[in-house]
Amino acid sequence: MNTASVAVAIDAVVVRRTIAASAEDLFDAWLDPQALGAWMRPGEIHSTVATLDARVGGRYEIVMHGATEQYPHSGVYRVIDRPRRLVFTWISRGTEQQESLVTVDFLARGQRTEVVVTHEKLPESARPSHTNGWTSGLSRLDEAVLQGTLK
Amino acid sequence: MSIFTLMGEYSSMQLNGVFNALGDPTRRAILARLSGREARVTEIAGEFPISLNSVSKHIRMLERAGLVRRCISGREHLLSLNAAPLAEAQAWIEKYRSFWEDRLAKLDTYVTSRKGKRK
Repeated sequence: MNTASVAVAIDAVVVRRTIAASAEDLFDAWLDPQALGAWMRPGEIHSTVATLDARVGGRYEIVMHGATEQYPHSGVYRVIDRPRRLVFTWISRGTEQQESLVTVDFLARGQRTEVVVTHEKLPESARPSHTNGWTSGLSRLDEAVLQGTLK
Repeated sequence: MSIFTLMGEYSSMQLNGVFNALGDPTRRAILARLSGREARVTEIAGEFPISLNSVSKHIRMLERAGLVRRCISGREHLLSLNAAPLAEAQAWIEKYRSFWEDRLAKLDTYVTSRKGKRK
């Protein structure tokens, strides 16, 4: 195991996906409550309700409704640079109500757009003992992905 | 083993210790140094521009987190890396990766299907 790279990886999670859509369409899907409700929905969540104030300093709330539990997420928009970059804080049960930071970059790739999500400041707030709802949801999500049901 | 099982079996105290231990650049550098090969405490101390006392404190914290093992042979204290807890921490953080990978997959489906409808 390469220790140095592991230590670096733990500082932040970076996820990329190239999507056949314009940066504008993709960017807007992050700031439209209806759109967020449609795609911000892990496997076992039957509905997601988003309310937001799409201004720098404005707040958002995303509540994911599971069969028995609700998973509220909230934060404040730090950078809104359409259609290039969106930065917001991310507070949830998974971060033990501490602030983490999500940066979304939209990079032109010909007719397509690469969306890069960087989720930072996770280690400081990493308190797994308080994240059972979150982690069990995600583990089911992992299983679903592995079984190909979400892909 | 599923991630959930892993989380259940791995105590959060230990995981917090790992994250705390990794939250400092000197400790990360010590781990990176030990990932190459084992070393004596005095050797490590000589490679960092801080006092032996400070280096010892960092090493003790890494030991408590289970990331570093100390083998005492006479007067020699030999340190080696134990990477297993790093893998556990990595598995925990990977759940966030899964979360965002799945979100971006859904975003893809959502935006591209809407685009199709508009045409």
